[in-house]
Amino acid sequence: MAKTFTIFLTTAPYTHENTLTAVRVAESALGKGHRVNLIASGDGVYCFLKGQKAKGIPHAGDLFAGLIARGLKVYL
Amino acid sequence: MRLSVILTRPPYGDVQAAEAVRHALGAIGEDMEVRLILCDAGVMVAKKGQSEGDTGYTNLGESLKDVIEMGGDVIADRGSVREFGLEPEDVIEGVRIVNGYELSEAVKESDRTMIF
Amino acid sequence: MLTIIKSGPDTSEGRRALKLARDMSSDIVLLQNGVYFALREQLDGFCGTACAVEEDVNLRGLREEELERGLKLIDWDELIELMAEEEEKVVGAF
Repeated sequence: MAKTFTIFLTTAPYTHENTLTAVRVAESALGKGHRVNLIASGDGVYCFLKGQKAKGIPHAGDLFAGLIARGLKVYL
Repeated sequence: MRLSVILTRPPYGDVQAAEAVRHALGAIGEDMEVRLILCDAGVMVAKKGQSEGDTGYTNLGESLKDVIEMGGDVIADRGSVREFGLEPEDVIEGVRIVNGYELSEAVKESDRTMIF
Repeated sequence: MLTIIKSGPDTSEGRRALKLARDMSSDIVLLQNGVYFALREQLDGFCGTACAVEEDVNLRGLREEELERGLKLIDWDELIELMAEEEEKVVGAF
């Protein structure tokens, strides 16, 4: 049965591992047919800035853009 | 210029370990005499066998080897190594495991200190 | 009940979460720095079911033989299954 996962992300994209954890949880949940919401609050909103240039660390902008295309609903 | 970079945080959970290694490499590139001091959970950066897979992270064990190859002195606090369950053979080659006295002398000898 | 722990044994958050899970008789999933709890003798008498996310274990170079016996390594899909199937509640991530 499809459930709804809601991820609350409050940390900046390149300071904590939370970015990758949120990405992994969202991609697995979407892959299993669940609905996934992500609420970005506080510094979490920086994960969704356009034009990020990250190297050597998971690229928040690209990863979340891919998930939005797969059905992730993001609320800032 | 003798620079000590002290790291007390473990790798990957937050950016501190990557920053410590990055700034150590940057300082070596600027011809500074760099000592990277690993203590508390920071010693886990020196653990062999880190595997980044497709996470997108830079493998910090490999970056630590770069620091050593480029002439940086990497030391790890013996008490912390023990506390975090590392055996000497688990530690990346070239990292010196030192006692508390040697660690404090290393900090005293440096001109500048950065703490992560 | 399922408690998710992302903070390591070197932090008050991590130690608090483990104590809380033990007191609530909750199962635990370890991820991020929380996987350091998976090393032998770190779980401090915890006797529920303990799982750790394999990707985060591998990232840190922890070998299977260093981990607590009986601890289960899971991938992200299995974490989602555990969360979706949990009938009581999921607490965390600490």
